[in-house]
Amino acid sequence: MTRLRRAGLAPERGPLAVAAEGPGGLRLVALDPEARALGLQPGEPLGRVRARIGVPLQVYPADPTADRDALLRLCRWAGGYAPLVAPFGPAEAGDGLYIDVAGASHLRGGEASLVDDLADRLARGHIPARIALADTPGAAFALASHGGVDRIVVPPGGAAEALRGLPVEALRLDPGTVSGLKRLGLRRMGELDALPRGPLARRFGEALLLRLDQALARRPEPLAPLSEAAEYAAARGFLDPIGRQSDIVRTARDLMAEIAPRLERDGLGACALRLALHRVDGVVRALDLGLSRPERHPERVAALVSLRLDRLGSALEAGFGFETVALAVTVTGAMPARQTDLGADASGDGVAVLADALAQRLGRGLLRLEPRASHLPERADRSGPWVAGEGHGSSADKDIGRTRAHRPLPSAEEDAPRRGTSRHEVPHGGGEGAGSGRGHHEARDPSGSGFSFSRPLLKQEPTSPAEGGVRARAFPISVPCSIPWPDHLPPRPLVLFPRGEAACDVLSAVPEGPPRRFRWRAQVHRVAHAEGPERISAEWWCAPGAERDYYRIECEAGHRLWLYRDGPHAPGQPAAWYVHGLFA
Amino acid sequence: MGLDPADETEGAIARGDPRARLAALRMRLAPPAGERDLPPVLPLGVPELDGHLPGGGLVLGPPHEIAPAEPVDGVAALGFALALCARHLAGRPGPALIAAAPGQPLPYGHGLAGLGLDPARLLLLEAGSDAEVFRALEAALHARALTALVGLVRDGLPLKPGRRLQLAAEGSAPPLLLILRPAPAGLPNGAATRWRIAAAPAARDRFGTLDRPRWRARLERCRNGRGGDWLLEWDHAAHRLHLPEPLAGDAAAAGRSRA
Repeated sequence: MTRLRRAGLAPERGPLAVAAEGPGGLRLVALDPEARALGLQPGEPLGRVRARIGVPLQVYPADPTADRDALLRLCRWAGGYAPLVAPFGPAEAGDGLYIDVAGASHLRGGEASLVDDLADRLARGHIPARIALADTPGAAFALASHGGVDRIVVPPGGAAEALRGLPVEALRLDPGTVSGLKRLGLRRMGELDALPRGPLARRFGEALLLRLDQALARRPEPLAPLSEAAEYAAARGFLDPIGRQSDIVRTARDLMAEIAPRLERDGLGACALRLALHRVDGVVRALDLGLSRPERHPERVAALVSLRLDRLGSALEAGFGFETVALAVTVTGAMPARQTDLGADASGDGVAVLADALAQRLGRGLLRLEPRASHLPERADRSGPWVAGEGHGSSADKDIGRTRAHRPLPSAEEDAPRRGTSRHEVPHGGGEGAGSGRGHHEARDPSGSGFSFSRPLLKQEPTSPAEGGVRARAFPISVPCSIPWPDHLPPRPLVLFPRGEAACDVLSAVPEGPPRRFRWRAQVHRVAHAEGPERISAEWWCAPGAERDYYRIECEAGHRLWLYRDGPHAPGQPAAWYVHGLFA
Repeated sequence: MGLDPADETEGAIARGDPRARLAALRMRLAPPAGERDLPPVLPLGVPELDGHLPGGGLVLGPPHEIAPAEPVDGVAALGFALALCARHLAGRPGPALIAAAPGQPLPYGHGLAGLGLDPARLLLLEAGSDAEVFRALEAALHARALTALVGLVRDGLPLKPGRRLQLAAEGSAPPLLLILRPAPAGLPNGAATRWRIAAAPAARDRFGTLDRPRWRARLERCRNGRGGDWLLEWDHAAHRLHLPEPLAGDAAAAGRSRA
């Protein structure tokens, strides 16, 4: 609803509802305050509603995908408050977000002023929100969704008190459990918490206790943040926005020079970088730069940024300029110190530089031909991405398996309401409510690393396929095992067609022999010489296909072709002939 | 003092007659080997052919244009270009790059062995247009990291990109640069040479089977050189071109009569 209004698709006033296909026809899924004041409830059938109320009701179709996109945009905007931002999942009805403000609230002058600042900015962006800040995500969600107040800050350790009076629905339970609890007369969380745990677990299962413990900070609840905070990152803000390409490039170089000593200290190089350009009006443009080998030289990074901006040209849409430029290393790779000597063979490096330049300038990567283990000629080779250090015996291979990827943000540009800088919470409820998790429990984590338990979760996931340049090759599992080129094959054509092209009007001297004359591409070819057959069939584990008899053929004009007959010769049936390749 | 050879020459010049002095001075001013100004070339290994080319081979750096004689000879032209690449790569380290415009035929990895080219030393770039091919070739020329460059273009080599490539190729250790274009796309340009390649019946081995590819190569245009027309045979094992021996024609004829 808020999305519709913000996009100017729906009028500012008047009862407004969003309906989606449900059991028994269209049902309401979201209502604005005016519609709510008419006594409408989400879930009512639309037909009955129209019959019941006398006021014209504007109804719009639900679009879950657009809602999700809008929520992700909001999440990215909220990343200005704290690095860890997680959108609500299905358990929370997907209409809000968590911000983990542990260690970030002091930047806004404390938790109370942080919540105020967030609420003000959201209000300015016409996003209704309920904000709660508590020790755990569960508690913050419960207070935001069922607390009944627009902003609330629970002091550390006060979650149990604050949650005592809330209804059990606030625990993110499935509807069956909630109705079961209500049948037993358990309506408040306090009543639930006072009961012995054993019978509860037997009656309702482990999920109930898990949610209760998560809300009361007895068990950790890992969030799945939108992006992991980059370990190596730098940002620079400007009083006057910058818009010229040279300024952006120079800033990128300075930022990389800031990051480089840290990378060097850890023996790492950047394999992929993300340059985020925050425009004055809140849009964030993210440019992903992939490098073919770990790199930490500021000049090289600046050169790549320059090439990318060259390619983008006016598509960058600098508008009124960028007020913040942030550079983050999204994938790192081991880059041990190397001894350089004068006149060393640096051709591998040169090719890597060229590959990166082409990738940024043209947006196309270098390919190399790789053999594949297949008898069928069209499957026996493929072009794979060129990877620095493969093939020419340079020593960079070893580094590749060890690169580490941080999950990069989806690099869509975002139109946040206004560019924010730092804090956390959860606007919630189609634009109505907001809850926010605060990470006091992390501060109590003995290891001292906030949300450290959530990392293994991320590590198991494959890297999100980044658009525009971050290559997925950083993972050992995606590195193809390379087999050598076979050296015992009979001659193969220089150009192979993806599929055989039919040759018609085939005339053979012997029924099962090679053709003497055929027509291909509207031209008659007279065969002067034929060699073969070479019988090729698919592997036994593939779907059984016909065997092919290949012949090398030289026409009288001197052209050499690779022809095959599909299937063995069968008397009485016309043979199907195809041209599959051309020899030099 | 007297041990310094320069002093001795100075003395000899001062003593001789003016004519001898002038000759001696000229000799001193001339570059040591006299070859410093000559650009590096790729000799084709055929004396009859190298004699037509300035410097005794294909000049490295400026673009060479290769076109098929007829549209059906496109693969023959690609084979000739890749054979030149293979010859150039044989003696030098570093990979070769093929930048292809859409619709141009890319080589089949297993077929490269027939030309003596190692597929592992070949990099491919599938460009989106001719302009991208030229841009990629220019970047590769500037990077100086590749040994041979082949551009497969759709609309020929116009004057301006050709000139840009030529400028980018100036400097030390330029790579071999070949531009392959379709038969009808002839444009005036600054290519160093222009070749027309047509397929010709292959050489046979002693059993009458197809052995070495042959092309009819016509040198249409050659800056500072002479044109010519040859039947060339490619020996992929030795990485060299040669003119077919007189007897080879007989073998082919014999094979045809047997077939």
